[in-house]
Amino acid sequence: MRMRSLAMLAAGALAFGAAAAPRAQAAAAHTGGTLKLVSVASEGTIDPQINYTSMYWQVFFVTYDGLVGFEKTSGPDSNTIVADLATEIPKPQDAGKTYVFTLRRGIKFSNGKTVTPDDVVASFRRLFKVSNPNAGTWYNVIVGADACLKTPATCTLSGGVVADDKANTVTFHLTAPDAEFMDKLAVPFGTILPADTAAKDLGTTPAPTTGPYMISQYDPNRIMKLVRNPYFKQWSAQAQPAGYVDEIDFNYGLSDEAAVTAVENGQADWMFNQPPTDRLGELGTKYAKQIYIRPLFAFYYAAMNANLAPFNNLKVRQAVNFATDRRATVNLYGGPRLAQPTCQILPPGFPGYEPYCPWTKNPGKTWTAPDLAKAKALMQQSGVAPGTKVTLIVIDRAADRAIGGYLQSMLNSLGFAASLKAISPNIQFTYIQNTKNQVQISLTDWYQDYPAPSDFLNVLFSCANFHPGSDSSINISGFCDKGIDAHMQKALSTAVADPEAALGMWAKIDQQVTDQAPVAPLFAPKHLDFVSTRLGNYTWSDQFHMIFSKVWVQ
Amino acid sequence: MSATLQPEADEAASEASSRTGRGPWATAFRKLVQDRAAMICLAALALIVLACAAAPVYARYVSRTDPFASNVDGSFTLGGQSVQVMQPDQGGLGLGVTPVGPTWSAPYFLGADSQGRDVMARLLYGGRNSLFISSLSTLICLTVAAIVGIVAGFFGGITDAVLSRLLDILWAFPIYLLAISLSIVLISRGLTIGPITISSDSLALPIGIIGIVYVPYVARPVRGLVLSLKQSEFVLAAIGLGVPNRRILVRDILPNVLTTLIVFAPLMMALNMLTESALSFLSIGVQPPAASWGTIIQDGQTLIYTRPLVAIAPGVAIALTVLVLNVFGDGVRDALDPRAKLRFRA
Amino acid sequence: MLGTLLRRLAQMVFVMFGISVIVFLIFFATPGADPAARIAGRNASPEVLAQVRHEFGLDRPLPVQYALLMKRLFVTGDLTSFVNRGQKVIPTIEEAVPVTLSLVLGAAVIWVVGGVAVGVLAAANRGGVVDRALMILGLIGISMPVFWVGEVANLLTQSRLHDTWAFSWVPALGYKPLTVEPFAWFKTMLIPWFTLAILFIGLYGRVLRASIIEAYQEDYIRTARAKGLTERRILLRHALRTSLITFVSMFGLDFGALVGGGALLTEVVFGLQGVGYLTFNALENLDLPVIMATVMYASFFVVAANAIVDIAYAALDPRVRHGR
Repeated sequence: MRMRSLAMLAAGALAFGAAAAPRAQAAAAHTGGTLKLVSVASEGTIDPQINYTSMYWQVFFVTYDGLVGFEKTSGPDSNTIVADLATEIPKPQDAGKTYVFTLRRGIKFSNGKTVTPDDVVASFRRLFKVSNPNAGTWYNVIVGADACLKTPATCTLSGGVVADDKANTVTFHLTAPDAEFMDKLAVPFGTILPADTAAKDLGTTPAPTTGPYMISQYDPNRIMKLVRNPYFKQWSAQAQPAGYVDEIDFNYGLSDEAAVTAVENGQADWMFNQPPTDRLGELGTKYAKQIYIRPLFAFYYAAMNANLAPFNNLKVRQAVNFATDRRATVNLYGGPRLAQPTCQILPPGFPGYEPYCPWTKNPGKTWTAPDLAKAKALMQQSGVAPGTKVTLIVIDRAADRAIGGYLQSMLNSLGFAASLKAISPNIQFTYIQNTKNQVQISLTDWYQDYPAPSDFLNVLFSCANFHPGSDSSINISGFCDKGIDAHMQKALSTAVADPEAALGMWAKIDQQVTDQAPVAPLFAPKHLDFVSTRLGNYTWSDQFHMIFSKVWVQ
Repeated sequence: MSATLQPEADEAASEASSRTGRGPWATAFRKLVQDRAAMICLAALALIVLACAAAPVYARYVSRTDPFASNVDGSFTLGGQSVQVMQPDQGGLGLGVTPVGPTWSAPYFLGADSQGRDVMARLLYGGRNSLFISSLSTLICLTVAAIVGIVAGFFGGITDAVLSRLLDILWAFPIYLLAISLSIVLISRGLTIGPITISSDSLALPIGIIGIVYVPYVARPVRGLVLSLKQSEFVLAAIGLGVPNRRILVRDILPNVLTTLIVFAPLMMALNMLTESALSFLSIGVQPPAASWGTIIQDGQTLIYTRPLVAIAPGVAIALTVLVLNVFGDGVRDALDPRAKLRFRA
Repeated sequence: MLGTLLRRLAQMVFVMFGISVIVFLIFFATPGADPAARIAGRNASPEVLAQVRHEFGLDRPLPVQYALLMKRLFVTGDLTSFVNRGQKVIPTIEEAVPVTLSLVLGAAVIWVVGGVAVGVLAAANRGGVVDRALMILGLIGISMPVFWVGEVANLLTQSRLHDTWAFSWVPALGYKPLTVEPFAWFKTMLIPWFTLAILFIGLYGRVLRASIIEAYQEDYIRTARAKGLTERRILLRHALRTSLITFVSMFGLDFGALVGGGALLTEVVFGLQGVGYLTFNALENLDLPVIMATVMYASFFVVAANAIVDIAYAALDPRVRHGR
């Protein structure tokens, strides 16, 4: 009880704009304890420059720092980029082709060494040496990146990233202006590691950190243990606040059912996985106070192969979109509280989002009901013979199988002879990308990397991201429209000087892509966090979700 | 892992007393008919088969729902009132939807599954697949095993050595790996071997996998039997008289092997049914929307806390069928060859 | 004898070699199995993909890849996972073994005790009500899919009856090490033990009953009876003893298979991260190094158990030697 009253006091004090004293007192009272997290499985390497999973990005968020970073707070501000290891966000020079960062002095790694400009240069070289997933797609804009992509072992980025020890600055030179360069530095790939970090995948060996915590133990089958970084001193409460808990234990291997039970019984504080749908009712009634539901910048969609019959026919793709009952898919995902039906590519609330829905009865801004009559008429016009075989490929997960089952029924109602195949979560995503596998239609999802419309539209639907015959061809539909591609290039370059105007352009592109129906968007999912009774100060970042350093357990 | 049949280590074949002719078969048949437990189980088995065979009738005239189409937005009338198949949660935050529970009447007798489909209808359809797969794979297994066992046992030497090592490999091979890989191979393109094309959702896949993996369990005792038959007086005498090999095989060896195979059949079928359910449970058996008892258990797993019956009912169906097959199999063994030693292995 | 042993050993090596080659070939014949794109991460550019492929040796000819894999597994022992990069495979298996051993040993104690009790009781009352009841129960035990028994056990002990006196002691699913919390270990393992043992109790009880009854027909039992020994003494000292030979050989094979990861479904249902669970996860992820290591480990136990049982049999029963 005392704890709670203190928290109330703190809140009250804040409201009256009082000084920091009671706040510090409250913070001190809440400091300590162990935050216990659970997940069904671990997610691979803990090399922050390689791992590309939202689960570990959430961990890296409170352990590592880049030159800049997303503000650690809740609400819309969590999408704002603030200076982190750098003293401030530099103004673009040379028409957006040069940025000069000044490093803060005195920040130390968890091994006691000071962060220097050389570390920054080495970290960006390392991105290429360890084959960072986006080395060739994001960081290729840095001068010298071409050579690094060709022969990573001898990567220098000379002329691209330049250190000045005396001035304590690092200068970046780009081959072309890039409106999203700050975003690319703010995600965990932009982490600054000590210059002597091995230039290979660290695997299960943690690298020294700069944030309030460091990884002390990692066993992918059991546990990741985070302890306080002894050299951490808070330099910016916005960029990297000190944490409340003393230790974070992330345990792996509990099934999602068992994880729900563990949180219910207070044996764990938070579960990474979404609770299984059959437990939602129980959670909503008995544990309503321990539940936080937040929208995600993501969407679930059925990707249709625009280069393979029958979905190479625009009318067929439109028919699928008209016939899809998005409410049914929402219900299978967990009900209307956990997902929002959508017809377009950009998720609600995302930069550039303007509500748009042509695939509904009474087309307009929002989806209301499927229009089966229109869908069937379109099928007739398409000339596709009834009984055409299609195979839908989904991930072998309960919700995906269920949604897949619905989509199969829907396709059958359009006259197809649809079959459904569920394959292992780890394989499905690369399987459906490779044109060699001749996938006609698949169910998949996309979560943002950083808050920019191009991260959905350009990544998923540009000609450049379609690589026939490769397992890595993120434009799963194989959609390539020269006109739309040109519009996207224009929007990208406009964003450097005039971000506002660019957003308007993206909204238009969103509609254009939606009209071409390379995919059938289903819904934008929401995230449900189920936490223990003792977990307080729940803070949700739109970017990296619950912030482990902001919550307390006592 | 499911229980798997394995021959007794000594593989000692029973004395091959029964020769071709009506006598021993008729005796065995009479003995079997007099075995009350076996007959009751046979009747029960027939009932299960009939019920499953009538699945379309049930779906069409009793439940009046499509057991293969998802019915997430549907509703039906129960006692004059319209009831939603998927019911949104009422209390609290209103999270999640729960399929309707057992109504114990025509539609949704056992309730709906996570896609709003009638569980009872799916249970019957699933039974068809489970029975079909287990019986056909038994047939394949016994045929292949008989050929391998007879060839290895009769010809001996290098043939035997090669076949025995192959059986050893198959014996220790993880069937789940084979099943998972094959199911991925078949996803979009199916499998084409010469003139035969197997489509991706074909039942041929689980049938083939299950049929092949247990070959060693039957082939080894068959080989042992053939070995001991070869040393039996009547075969030695026949060889001495210069009777051609083919004739010895057909006249003396095959009938005896057949007895063993018949004894194995119901027990193998029971075992195959358990294996099929395990594979389907790991979603590498029957592919949706088709059902088998194993896939229904898998579907029910996601509802185990709210609608446990979805997972329990098919489990009971499996256990019942396997039980009935086992008792009947015991009866067959007692009637035909009381000394035959068969056993399970985990 | 030495010759037999050596021959068995050569056969074992051959079988394991055959299995490893088949596993390897199946893996590379599987579409979507190429781990390069999964390792590289989503939206990797073609250059990065090629780099990763080269780094992991995936651009080499298959025989070379096979040889390297085997070398890293058996010679240098530094084989690492494709999915959890940097995770060493051999220590991972070493960590999983105690979990599997805990499960299998505990279950084995239960099924041996239970199987002997059922077999002896049924044989002693053969033809009676107890015999029939036990045999039917045994058959039911054999007839239930083990994963389903586990699911139902979880439903009852974790949810439906969790708040009653009967099962309120049942802890959350998952493994607790014996060395850290012995009592918690016991509590978490109890339900999995029984789930796994049910099948074997039924099986062993039935087999034991049959062989005891068979033994009753042997001459030496008749002799013992003629000497006027009590029924109980005949059953326990003579009939049971000879019947145990079959029992022990069965046990050898089953135990070997289970230690090798055969309890996969039980481990998956109860969230016990043993060798079976590891195998299952690796299969799901098509993690070739882990698949190969677990398959080699499992096949070793299966093949070794077979060899031991066969050799023991040959030593005990001279008739068999000629048969083979």
